[in-house]
Amino acid sequence: MTITDLWDQKISAFQLSPSQFLATTTSESFLAELLHELRNDKANDHLKILLVSVLLDHPTILCPSSSVGEETALELLSVFSHTPQKSIILKCNVMLAITNVIICTSCLANHTKMAEDWLDLLFQMIQDTNDYRCGLSQQPIRATACDCLREMETCSPGLLSQKLEALYLLKQQETTVLHQSYCMLYTLGLKNAIRILTTQKDVTDLEFKSILGGNEGFAWKSNQLGLTLLPINMMVQVPRLPPGLDCKELKSIMSSLLEESYLQTPISQSALLRELVEVVAMVPGLSPTLFKSQLLRLFGTADVSLMHATLFMKDTFTDSLFTAEDENFLLKRLVGTAQHPLLRIPEKLFYMECILHFPENRPISSSGEESLPVLVTPRLAASLHPTVFNDSATMLCRLNLLCLVHLEADEGEADKGIRYLFEHIMALLKIIDNDGSREVVVTSFRALFIFLMHFNGMENLSEKVIDKLCDMYSRHSRLAPNLIGLANRIQEHLDDPVWSVKLLIGLQKCIMEMPPLQLTIHNLSWHLKVLKRVAQEGQITQRNTIYLLLNILINSNLCERGNWQVGNAVLAVCRNLLEHPSIDQVFIELADLLQYISVHYDDTDIKDHARFYYTLLTNLSWEKLAGVLVKGLDGGRAKERSHSAIMAENEGIASNLTVHKTNRHVLQLIKVQEEASQRSSGSSELLETTGEAKNWLEVYQGQFHTPGFGSDVNLRYNLTHAKDTDPLFDKVFTICLHFELKDSNYAKVNDIHVPCVFRDRKPPEVKVKLKPFQPYPTTLCVSAVFTTQDGRSWHSQLPDVSVSFPEIFLPLPLPPNTSCECKEQVFDRIWEAAASENPDKSAISLFCFKTGDESLADLIKAHFQGYLITDQQSKILWKVLFFLPPMCHVLLKITQAEDAIQVSIATDNWELLPFVNSYLQNITDHCSTTVTDD
Amino acid sequence: MHTHGQDRPKPYVEVRDDYARQHRSPAVELRLDGPGGRTLWPLLTVTQGALILACLPLVEAPPEPRPPLPSLASVSQGLALLSGLQDFLCGPGGKPEPDVLASRLAALPSVLLQVCPLGRPLDTPPPAGSVPAAVAPSPGGAQKQPAWKAGVHRGRAVVSVALTEKVRSMQYGKSSQQDIWDVYGMVMCKCEVEGVLPNVTVTLTLPPNGSPLQDILVHPCVTSLDASILTACSVDENDCSAFSGPYKFPFSPPLELFRLCSYTSQVPMPPILGSYQLKAEENHLKANVVLKLHESVKNSFEYCEAHIPFFNQNLMGSVEVKVSSGQLEVSKEKSLLVWVLGQKFPKSHEAALEGTVHFSGTVAGPTDPLCTGLTAYIKLYFRVADFTLSGCCVDQHSVQVYSSAKPRIVTTRELVSSEYYIWNSTGDAPVSSGAVTASH
Repeated sequence: MTITDLWDQKISAFQLSPSQFLATTTSESFLAELLHELRNDKANDHLKILLVSVLLDHPTILCPSSSVGEETALELLSVFSHTPQKSIILKCNVMLAITNVIICTSCLANHTKMAEDWLDLLFQMIQDTNDYRCGLSQQPIRATACDCLREMETCSPGLLSQKLEALYLLKQQETTVLHQSYCMLYTLGLKNAIRILTTQKDVTDLEFKSILGGNEGFAWKSNQLGLTLLPINMMVQVPRLPPGLDCKELKSIMSSLLEESYLQTPISQSALLRELVEVVAMVPGLSPTLFKSQLLRLFGTADVSLMHATLFMKDTFTDSLFTAEDENFLLKRLVGTAQHPLLRIPEKLFYMECILHFPENRPISSSGEESLPVLVTPRLAASLHPTVFNDSATMLCRLNLLCLVHLEADEGEADKGIRYLFEHIMALLKIIDNDGSREVVVTSFRALFIFLMHFNGMENLSEKVIDKLCDMYSRHSRLAPNLIGLANRIQEHLDDPVWSVKLLIGLQKCIMEMPPLQLTIHNLSWHLKVLKRVAQEGQITQRNTIYLLLNILINSNLCERGNWQVGNAVLAVCRNLLEHPSIDQVFIELADLLQYISVHYDDTDIKDHARFYYTLLTNLSWEKLAGVLVKGLDGGRAKERSHSAIMAENEGIASNLTVHKTNRHVLQLIKVQEEASQRSSGSSELLETTGEAKNWLEVYQGQFHTPGFGSDVNLRYNLTHAKDTDPLFDKVFTICLHFELKDSNYAKVNDIHVPCVFRDRKPPEVKVKLKPFQPYPTTLCVSAVFTTQDGRSWHSQLPDVSVSFPEIFLPLPLPPNTSCECKEQVFDRIWEAAASENPDKSAISLFCFKTGDESLADLIKAHFQGYLITDQQSKILWKVLFFLPPMCHVLLKITQAEDAIQVSIATDNWELLPFVNSYLQNITDHCSTTVTDD
Repeated sequence: MHTHGQDRPKPYVEVRDDYARQHRSPAVELRLDGPGGRTLWPLLTVTQGALILACLPLVEAPPEPRPPLPSLASVSQGLALLSGLQDFLCGPGGKPEPDVLASRLAALPSVLLQVCPLGRPLDTPPPAGSVPAAVAPSPGGAQKQPAWKAGVHRGRAVVSVALTEKVRSMQYGKSSQQDIWDVYGMVMCKCEVEGVLPNVTVTLTLPPNGSPLQDILVHPCVTSLDASILTACSVDENDCSAFSGPYKFPFSPPLELFRLCSYTSQVPMPPILGSYQLKAEENHLKANVVLKLHESVKNSFEYCEAHIPFFNQNLMGSVEVKVSSGQLEVSKEKSLLVWVLGQKFPKSHEAALEGTVHFSGTVAGPTDPLCTGLTAYIKLYFRVADFTLSGCCVDQHSVQVYSSAKPRIVTTRELVSSEYYIWNSTGDAPVSSGAVTASH
């Protein structure tokens, strides 16, 4: 496999799930690898572009802080300058990546040196208009520089506000295809400069003019205003400059920009038009009629973004640019385009949305909600009637629009139209009869929903719909969940639930009237679902349901077959019946039914449940019954002590009732501070210490053949109460701690059981056994299940436990009585191996620092005591070894040089070096440090 | 809205199938797993075959309440970008070979970087296979080079203008249901002309008394438009006094093939009037078809076929059918009759088909949710070269090119059928347009 393939794999794994990918490594080391490969002269452009794409897509994952961002940008800049002239595409990619990193890591917002230098460099690049200096081949670089500057101005509005004259001249000079890039850059700068000026209280003519004539540095201060520049159509009030300013120059600039807009691609043209509209809206001295010359061209356009920009103009300027005639015309065009045979479906759907949000000159309401423009009459909208040949989105969209049209229409016309829509709905339902595929059913029911939302008041129609649905149900009982879903949704969305109730009554009746042959086991489960839903309606009498159930049970072999699912479904109906307000009218019948089940149904669980319901029914008043059956709310603390799972059918009720959840921390794990010397890596008794002139390294390494040797890190914690817990939790029992890992560097951690934790007693100590695959710092999510004194069970999350790098350190795993000589021999051998880069992940590094008040000996005593290899008496050289399971070593040689203390580092896993460095930096951070890499 | 094929019913899933959630917008919402159940919106999608192209436009507005789509500038830019991507990946045919598609997909990142650097669309990708023949870099004079034109043409000057008109129809053969048909046309241009911004004018003309072209949409390269050209609109009352040409389109052409303009037109009669009568008799169906070519239509077809499918039946057994003109073929799948009418209708301008079809097989044929019982249709496929129904044409001499070299000018026109159905008049046919009920 080539290096390119390896990177291909790596990067697609990263792109697929950055968090999963980084669980096996760190963003630091991945970034280091990327940058390293980018500096590699032998890697080809294609690979490098791939590498850069990661920084383009996920800058903040790889550069979590501004400082990392700045360093990365610097590295990229050096890559950029070392890339040969001919690698144009790579260079453009690197430029975009630098810009991206600078913006996303706030280097731009914080005005760092790097951002400043980069801006200067970009501005320098765009000076070469018409490729005078660098030649045509470098044109893409210039285009990219413009794009980068535009992005920076967008993210830091006003940055270019003092450079507008220079930008204008560049734009004027440029005649190549890049003209568009300069034009967009200038226009954005101009708009933002004016926008910032509107925040100023008094604006003089001079200040206004100085915008256009600006030729100074970058305006870093402007972004301190903290402006988030929303488009003006999103603002309650358009910011405006005071009237009376001299706009002659600006006007001529605007005219020339508009004249040349034709030279731009439609998408850029639409963006340009929007910027210009915003400028005109902010400057009272400019008249919207400036756009008049472009209107006709825009009215006829086939391009969706240009048409959209035209609507934006309409929205902003209404009758100051568009006459009533224009408005009528534009709306007709919209209706025409919304069904144009040559346009694509998403565009047509978008135009229909535009009709429903059409910016009328005289809007009746301006709530931002969908509303039909006054000018859209049934005649105008006739061509938008839905048909069965439409795709589903188009059909639903047209139906919704036409419902609104006919709702508003005059009576005679409306009747005809509504009748058509109704026939359309009926045609859809007829299709379900022949084609029950999910898409068809769902689309038809959605259409029905839209229709009912508008016309449920027309009783004759809505009743015909119910008849049709019941008729369909009698043939296709599999539609039960769809019908229940429809009844629920309609009930939720209409104030008047009467339609849903009527539908459910119809369905109940339909089931009652079915010939017994149709009540097969398969269909029965659908019918029981419907009856269960019917039983929830207080307005529907339930006597027939109970008779039917009893009848089925008595006259079929269901009881003998004892199918648990069927029994459960019958009981689910009964459960809802128990809650029914008119239960006293059917009390005897229901009791008979339950008793029959409890005696005859050949399944113990079903029998027991039936008997339980029977007992509840016959012993409790209805109010109590309803109280008992009420479902615990999901999550949150249940108000009262709930009963055990009454019905398995009710999803989630069992777990809700048995284990309560609390969102606050009840318990926490506190690290036990311990001496390093106490640490051990578990048993190493197996080592024979009798032999003499042995190769101790071999002996040492031999130990690892024993499975599980030296693979665990044991961390000790006290399990205590979190602060401010409810007194309810003062005494908790049978605690089970469960650990979840946030990455895959460690093996699964076993649950830990603790008998009890009392607030006023000494906290129990728990030992967490970690088994690293990669010895990186990690975080554990901990949760606990426990019981309180009143017998209730609880589930609660503990604060996350983070395991730092030094916490994974273990002393060299040799028996305690091993002599210093053999330890030193092992140390030296590992060092030699690492120095000669064997194994190949080995690395050597150097870390220097100056001691402060603390002497070196104190430092060593405080941090390295348990890991020292050499004789304690030596004061010239200290050898320190950290063992990190499963089998990594970090070796330190610490010497006192003349002016500083040198720490030579060797490791058999170079990926640990960043952690070692930050660890050393951490423990010496009151001393002055310098780091040198070998 | 209906999908053909063997879709097995899947259970109703509330999250997905909630009827109150409106699936009628070009933007969908994507619910993400994980804590908080966040959603991505507005996700724009374009589907072509197995390919789904999607983009997430920037919402420059407070997220709540959700802003209406038309208030977001990025939505139309996203739609334009997706359309462009679709053309780039799939080409004009719409169905690229897998290896062609793979190579285009491989080129996608660099193309996107060019047309959409840092996620900001600047242009649409060039349509697949549209590399212009001979292009030189722009000469770099005082004239500004348009951003949509990478260079200038070098070589022989050729201007080709192709006018294609399509006709759709639904014919029911009943007095209760009015037949409908419509015509729409498009003018495709390819201009190989020298110069940075050469001026070209194409003029469409109608015959005297021709009904005006409606719903005209033009390419962004058209420099100016006369207001009268845009006035006719299909949603309006038909106004015969409206402007009826000549339609002048002055423009400066891009290098590649492009659609200069499109229009719709209302013609008094469909080109072929058909009647279809299907009757069920014991174990066979009796069919009777008459097709009548309108006298104004040029009787010279490139091809003309009538397809007679049978759905929700067993496969066909013996077929005893006679045709007065052309030949009859039974498809390999035994579920479709193909009546090949050939290049010409007979002198009477009328052709007939009559006979019985038996369904003896035990193997079930294709199914269709609409075509049950006697609901059945014939679909016509035809193409007539050098003819349009609206009468619209581009005269070779009316194409004006203001350039130093005199170009060769090629103009063509044709009429092609599209969704041309004739429904069985003895069965129920699905209504296909509300226009019939609502406006007449």
